[in-house]
Amino acid sequence: MRAVGSSIPRVDARHKVTGEALYPGDIDRPGQLWLRVVFAERPHARIRGIDTSAAMAAPGVVAVFTAADVPNNVYGLNTLDQPVLCGPGAPRGMADADIVRFVGDQVALVVAETETQANSAARLLQIDFEDLPVVSDPLAAMQPGSPLVHGYRDNNVLLEYHVRTGDVEAGFARADVVVEHTYRTGAQEHAYLQPEAGLSYIDALGRIVVVVAGQWVHEDRQQIAHALGLPEDQVVVRYPAIGGAFGGREDMSVQIVLALAAWRLKQRGIDRPVKTIWSRRESIIGHHKRHPSVVSAKWGATRDGKLVAQQVDFTSDCGAYAYTSTKVLGNATLACLGPYVCDNVHVDARTVYTNNVPGGAYRGFGGPQGHFAAELQMDRLAEALGMDPLELRLRNAWHEGSLMATRSVLPAGVTIVPVLERLAAEISGSENGGQSPRPSPQSPVPSPHAPFLTSLDASAGRRLRGTGIACCFKNVGFSLGYRDVCNATVELYGTGEIERVVVRHAAAEVGQGTHTVMAQVAAEVVGVPPEQVELIVQDTAETENSGSVSASRMTFMAGNAIKGAAEQALARWQDEERPAIAHFEYVPRATTPYDKLTGQSDPNITHGYCAQAVEVEVDPDTGHVHVLQVISVNDVGRAINPQQVEGQIEGAVAQSVGWTTHENFVQRDGRVLTDQLSTYLIPTVVDVANVKSVILEIPDPQGPLGARGMAEMPFIPTAPAIVAAVHDATGVWFDEIPLTPERVWRGLRAAAR
Amino acid sequence: MRHDISFTVNGEPYNIAVESHHNLLQVLREQLVLTGTKNGCSEGECGACTVLLNGEPVNACLVLGVEADGHEIVTVEGLATDGHLAPIQQTMIDAGGTQCGFCTPGVLIAAHALLQRNPNPSETDIREGLVGNLCRCTGYTRIVDAVFEAARLQRVSNQ
Repeated sequence: MRAVGSSIPRVDARHKVTGEALYPGDIDRPGQLWLRVVFAERPHARIRGIDTSAAMAAPGVVAVFTAADVPNNVYGLNTLDQPVLCGPGAPRGMADADIVRFVGDQVALVVAETETQANSAARLLQIDFEDLPVVSDPLAAMQPGSPLVHGYRDNNVLLEYHVRTGDVEAGFARADVVVEHTYRTGAQEHAYLQPEAGLSYIDALGRIVVVVAGQWVHEDRQQIAHALGLPEDQVVVRYPAIGGAFGGREDMSVQIVLALAAWRLKQRGIDRPVKTIWSRRESIIGHHKRHPSVVSAKWGATRDGKLVAQQVDFTSDCGAYAYTSTKVLGNATLACLGPYVCDNVHVDARTVYTNNVPGGAYRGFGGPQGHFAAELQMDRLAEALGMDPLELRLRNAWHEGSLMATRSVLPAGVTIVPVLERLAAEISGSENGGQSPRPSPQSPVPSPHAPFLTSLDASAGRRLRGTGIACCFKNVGFSLGYRDVCNATVELYGTGEIERVVVRHAAAEVGQGTHTVMAQVAAEVVGVPPEQVELIVQDTAETENSGSVSASRMTFMAGNAIKGAAEQALARWQDEERPAIAHFEYVPRATTPYDKLTGQSDPNITHGYCAQAVEVEVDPDTGHVHVLQVISVNDVGRAINPQQVEGQIEGAVAQSVGWTTHENFVQRDGRVLTDQLSTYLIPTVVDVANVKSVILEIPDPQGPLGARGMAEMPFIPTAPAIVAAVHDATGVWFDEIPLTPERVWRGLRAAAR
Repeated sequence: MRHDISFTVNGEPYNIAVESHHNLLQVLREQLVLTGTKNGCSEGECGACTVLLNGEPVNACLVLGVEADGHEIVTVEGLATDGHLAPIQQTMIDAGGTQCGFCTPGVLIAAHALLQRNPNPSETDIREGLVGNLCRCTGYTRIVDAVFEAARLQRVSNQ
């Protein structure tokens, strides 16, 4: 059996089914203290002072830390714009670190003997707040006179991008049909099952060790060292098992504050570990969300279905701090055009500070918001032209050698056409043994979960059915001029035969299966069974920088790095070196940033492509939308582990069905109203659709053994395909998600009048 | 205030003192250091803390520690015997039903309870049995597959 292409069990599966896998909250060290983070709990305010005396005097309290204890009170993944702790008195950092900008800003750290004591003492902290005017809508935040979220700036627009290609007015003049609509998408909470937690201590070498769940050990280390004003080699970041991420652990949560507390305690002669576990509510207010977006799009096409003009205005709600908003914006600026050739393009895109919970990385990273508008524009054009939506897409889809709106040739391996063609075949049933994947409308076909849909049952009457399609591209790897790198080391041990293969790699296993994929790639190249591969992973003390598990990059990047290291180690083995050890730094082809005025660039290393068909059932009396079936066609280049690939498709679709139909993250005046899993509802086992995963393996020319990244793209087409299916069922277009029953019911009522 | 309680966990008898206000999840994780059972929300929404109380699945975060007095508790650590995985554990691996794995202990316990009371569950039965367990990674498909397969294995071995 070959290692690559086999659905071997995950390397971590046994520990995960026995309860032996240790997540950050499961790890204790002798003598540990408990840390409680005190959050601002108000969206915009100045902290005039903090009186810690009552908290310090409370039973069991060992220390209370505030901004004055932070050596360099500023941090940020891409933009240094956030205090570690809000308040006055830090020696260095942000000049206005005394300003609180969202409810989840961290203000103080209470360290006590027990969790209960830390929690009780936290309530005794006296924080003197002066409330400031709140701006919670990105469009309002762009108006003159809006309160400024960051006072040193002229306005709240963090960043703008522009794309100018051809002459969009000339394009509209040529167009036989023009469609113009404004689309809105909501925030989404990651709702990974494991709330933020971690442990920090000083090791025998005097280094600060932080045991935590994240997505990039080396970046966490850099941000901790920066805030503490220490060299990076004084900090070790180590990930144990990680309970989900989806982008939600890309930015700091407990990392810096845990390190700060352990380090400051040690300076006071208290050499004790510090542990924290956030509650679900703290997790929900304390980390970023998928950006809400408002997208106005005006597109034109000729009668024969040729796209001749795309004009898009894109705004995302950055929230209080940048996080990855600028990078998400970079992706959205092109995603809002879809995978289509068009000679006349005009995009204005921006991300805008508000006093909401920050927007940031979440599976798809701007792709879902952009494609929501792009794909529904294609449906609107198809409707206006009287053309089949899939046919319209095929007529405009990118081909090998096509130019993007950035006037660069697409990365080789453009496969949106075969992906769409396969979807068409799946829909017509020719790839399905002649059987239509769609149940016939006459048959009763209760969904397997129907007994639990009580509100649907309540109306026992009509159910309307419809189908819709959508497609997408997704960049693989870091984009727009970021120098992406990935390190790996492969060590071969044995005498005559290779008995043991050790792979050192920093990649975080957040559930996506990357460690299993790494073992499979190493085994394939070295020519041993995967069981012989040992992994030393996700630890800055043991591995070199491998970059983040984000941007669908790790299979592609780690695969190339491990393949390179394994090939070199094998050559040394053949030269009789024992052990044979090789390190390899993989650097993919360079990309370039947007030109400020025209957007001209070579933005992405490579792409993945996906297309989906969706069938829904709508109850017109209650407004409930139930997604029955999703066919997802995905070109993954090469499926290293087909079962894990299918698992990513099924999981992505479930998350996207949630985002589209019922995950309703509500913020009012900067306050989070849905701060529990009882008010922010994610899909349960009875809410998910049947998913048919179709994996295409058209090798990516740059991919390791042909593989390209794939775990984001199946999220992207689901939302517009659902909206198209709801339109097919009801005759009504919905331009805003989530499709809550109330929104659908109101929309249907309004259309009926 | 503390209370002395006697109960068994995974067949082991325990006599311990528990705080009045501590829930069973705290007792298991903090006092017995059985960290396989997870805390995802502390309010009975996510099911990550599902354990068996006298054979019935409960959210351990919604049961007071003192309520376990005199009762039998089974956690994920109690599913395997002598290092041999229970069928549902093996089928969860084989089906690919675990990704990040944080929900997995609760899912396994809920599935185990379902299979105890219903050796031949339909898909609807399985989904009803797991409706209290949130999973954010898998989309649930492979979890349902794993329960089906475990039921089949269980029936075969009982023949």
